[in-house]
Amino acid sequence: MITLTINDKEITLDKPLTVLEAARQAGIKIPTLCYHEALKPYGGCRLCVVEVERMPRLQTACTLMAADGMVVKTESDTVSKVRRGILEFLLINHPLDCPYCDKAGECELQDLVNKYGPTVGRYIEEKRRVPESHKDEIFTRNMSRCVVCTRCVRMCGDVQGASAISIMGRGNRSRMEPFSAESFNCEYCGNCLTVCPVGAILSRLYIHSFRPWQVDKEVETICSYCGVGCSLVAQVRDDAIKRVIPRMGFGLNKGLLCSRGRFGYEYINSGERLKTPLVRKDGKLVESTWSEALGIVADKLMKVKNSHGGSALAGIASPRCSNEDNYVFQKFMRMACGTNNIDSISRTGFAAAQKYFEDLLGQGTTANIIEGLKNSETIFILGGDPTAINPILGLAIREAARRGAKIAVLGNAKGLERFKTLQLVPSVFKEADVLEALLNEIYNVKGLRGENPALDKGIRALYEKAAAAFDMQGFDNLKKILLDSASTAVVLGMDLLQRTDGHRSLFAIAGLIYLLEARLYLLSEKPNEQGVVDTGCVPDMLPGGRPLGIHDFKRKFEAAWNGVIPENEGLTLLEIIEGAKNKKIKALYIMGENPVFNLPNESFVSEALKSLDFLVVQDIFLTETAEIADVVLPALGWTEKTGTYTNLERRIQLQKKAVETSNGMEDWKIIAEISNKMGYRMNFADSKEVMDEIAKVSPLYRDLTYQEISKGNCLWPYNGEPLRGEISEAPAVFKTANEYKGDFYLAVEKPLFHSGTLSRRSPALMKIYSEPALKVSVKTAEKLGLNEGDRVQFFTQIGSKEAIVSIDESIKDNRVYYSNNFKGNGIFSLLTFNIDKLTKMPGLEGCEVKIKKL
Amino acid sequence: MFNETVLKEINEIRAKYPDRRSALLPSLYIAQREFGWLSHEAMQFVARTLNLPEAEVRGTASFYAMFKHKPVGRNLIQLCTNVSCMILGSEGLLDFLNKRYGVEPDGTSGDGRFSLVIMECIGACGTAPAMLVNTDFHDNLTEQRIEEILEKYK
Ligand code: SF4
Ligand code: SF4
Ligand code: SF4
Ligand code: FES
Ligand code: FES
Repeated sequence: MITLTINDKEITLDKPLTVLEAARQAGIKIPTLCYHEALKPYGGCRLCVVEVERMPRLQTACTLMAADGMVVKTESDTVSKVRRGILEFLLINHPLDCPYCDKAGECELQDLVNKYGPTVGRYIEEKRRVPESHKDEIFTRNMSRCVVCTRCVRMCGDVQGASAISIMGRGNRSRMEPFSAESFNCEYCGNCLTVCPVGAILSRLYIHSFRPWQVDKEVETICSYCGVGCSLVAQVRDDAIKRVIPRMGFGLNKGLLCSRGRFGYEYINSGERLKTPLVRKDGKLVESTWSEALGIVADKLMKVKNSHGGSALAGIASPRCSNEDNYVFQKFMRMACGTNNIDSISRTGFAAAQKYFEDLLGQGTTANIIEGLKNSETIFILGGDPTAINPILGLAIREAARRGAKIAVLGNAKGLERFKTLQLVPSVFKEADVLEALLNEIYNVKGLRGENPALDKGIRALYEKAAAAFDMQGFDNLKKILLDSASTAVVLGMDLLQRTDGHRSLFAIAGLIYLLEARLYLLSEKPNEQGVVDTGCVPDMLPGGRPLGIHDFKRKFEAAWNGVIPENEGLTLLEIIEGAKNKKIKALYIMGENPVFNLPNESFVSEALKSLDFLVVQDIFLTETAEIADVVLPALGWTEKTGTYTNLERRIQLQKKAVETSNGMEDWKIIAEISNKMGYRMNFADSKEVMDEIAKVSPLYRDLTYQEISKGNCLWPYNGEPLRGEISEAPAVFKTANEYKGDFYLAVEKPLFHSGTLSRRSPALMKIYSEPALKVSVKTAEKLGLNEGDRVQFFTQIGSKEAIVSIDESIKDNRVYYSNNFKGNGIFSLLTFNIDKLTKMPGLEGCEVKIKKL
Repeated sequence: MFNETVLKEINEIRAKYPDRRSALLPSLYIAQREFGWLSHEAMQFVARTLNLPEAEVRGTASFYAMFKHKPVGRNLIQLCTNVSCMILGSEGLLDFLNKRYGVEPDGTSGDGRFSLVIMECIGACGTAPAMLVNTDFHDNLTEQRIEEILEKYK
């Protein structure tokens, strides 16, 4: 227990704090400049000086630990004089251009000088002047204004872990600069921007367009890009989003954002947004009215249902839509259309992997709290770069590394280059072999746990079949790290699983998690992959993950929904596409998804969809899939509607309406209207009423209300019970992957700066990463005689593309990476797929690639 | 990129310290020795070899006057103009260097023979003015002495 006196006030602390923190806790204000709550104390600016009895000089409160019996005075004549002096020195070189500086109004220097500073400057020499730099696409750097507090540098290095900027020069000439001195060429998280106290780093997205006090409202909401679900504040003026800022200490991201969340928001104001419903007439999509379009959809779906039965209909839901949208969508498919043919793009990764793990390990075992990563002793990362797919989760891994955790990486992961302890890059299609060998070795040392018969049996069977000595550099080390660790987290991306034998890796990972008692984190590219599953947009489960096959559950839902749920499990995503191709599926309803672009084998998928009798697409843009639809319905997007999202931790969060920008309708509302026309009544007044129904019927969201969600910290099972795994038999192995023979292998790039096809409408993200590049390793470049920026043509069995080359030192093997984000330039148009018989994921095929320099 | 011998030299230095950052200054010296000055490319090599962030490498390099961020001539003159040297006429010597050899502070003579930088006190106040030419030390400077000394540096 520490008791100290600050300004005659006695303060007792229950944990060690600095004098500054102790004072703040007691409501006593001490001015600061280089201090920031998200950063380690630095003691550079000396504005926080205080008098401490029996200490000879003034002390900096931000670095001084409070001690028992300390007597502190935060205000005195000496203290004021020193503070005034410091501010006067800072102003010597400061341009004092507040009238046209964007920061004025929220500038800490301005506020400090206003309160403590001199009213007149005595310095009459020439000021140091550094020309403003506009060399970067996103940031304007004005180093005349910089007070060299190093907050940005510490944020970028100690928190973001990018270390892209530094203080260059010395003394009077010190200034913050990125390495190149021009473009930042960094991760563009903008977290440096958040902490700069003055107008030295500014965002070009809104420069000189408004004053901080000129906002009509601030709406606390969540990001729309990935499965982390970061909290952020949208500032609105004249019914448009002016900027997105984080709030320190707020939300699971605690004031940090990534490039997509911070700078990607402008897509919502894009001129390309759909404005009216479109209906195909004489082969062309023409503008229509809501009543005509909805009438056509209801009519067509009814006709197909009546003449071919519900099994000729199918629906594709969206992990970009809210729980309310998805819940209404699956209810509509089941009750109005009479089919369980409902799935989403999550089947290509997240939903399939989750189902597999839950079947073996029990419901709820695939989600853990991101914060918990920071305290892991070992983190085993495989199947993708978490710092690009789920950047804020990636930061937790970097933080763990700084705290001494061992970071073991299987495969390439650019964002962990400076953080990894160990990396293994198995050759293409050999990942499952490595994982199985690892499982065998760990079993050999640890034995079985005897708690899960299916896994125990499977692990033993695998061992008997294949336990052979395994030789790969780093393998023994990896084994040792995992065996020695008392607390292990496994972070799994989907790349590894999108193989024809993806289920082999899945089993090995499940076995490792079980034997090592590790926690699992599934990376999630879209904001509501968990919610899509939870709300029942899967062919085999009702909301709450209740299996369709268990009659008690089915009857309960039938009573609540007032009708009959079709008996048979429906088709999964890729089966729906195949069904369309061979005419078993006649009508397809797609909500917020773009399968033509987002699934492998573009020509196959688009052929399949073209052979449908009727295709309706509901979206916010005219996507590649909408272009071939019979009816296109404009929906509302992020900040235009209110709804809940469930992140990869299973945290249910509220996304709030902030603006009224488009003529679209909420997704669930469009569907409810069609349902009503088809004779199945859905009467929800607003999304809140939809949630009320979910809270009534879903065992996982029981009694959940918007009010409760707004408080934060709603993690499911919310008042409910999760099901334990029902599986007693370890799933069989169906097929081993094809031997891979080419010199180079095409793999999917998951860029930090893009997300699906949404980010291509964000001008800022397009400036950061504007043209798809073929990313190759140093070795590959040498082998082919390629230089950075060269143009190449590359071929697979089914197509070819031209692109510029970018040499990436973090790639350690013969994989070459290409993205699936840019219009007309997706990698998936070059690849084919086989369906993994067990998981129903696409196993990517035809990845051998030939590269020709142009 | 560095050749094998230099890489080995840097890796040996790196092995001496528990924190690879400690090897940064010696590695920068080696880079400067190899390339004559620290271009962005040279600093990138150092960053890559030590697995340190590029910005941190340049931030450190830019702090020290001994690291050169522009190409330098075949010989580097470092003349002190701090108090003692100034009082004893080093400003005049600057003019002389300019007139006689065409070299200005932070510049290089047209023939590439000399580069000049101004130094803070080099600890020779008792025998000021003083300068370094490359790594050789010279004091009690006058215009005439400078001319004699520089004869040796082609
Ligand atoms: S945007 Fe992020 S990565 Fe870039 S300099 Fe700022 S803090 Fe560093
Ligand atoms: S740019 Fe801003 S945050 Fe960075 S050192 Fe300068 S004043 Fe501080
Ligand atoms: S980590 Fe994901 S949720 Fe968070 S800001 Fe980035 S894209 Fe948005
Ligand atoms: S805030 Fe304490 S020294 Fe800057
Ligand atoms: S002042 Fe020149 S050597 Fe000391």
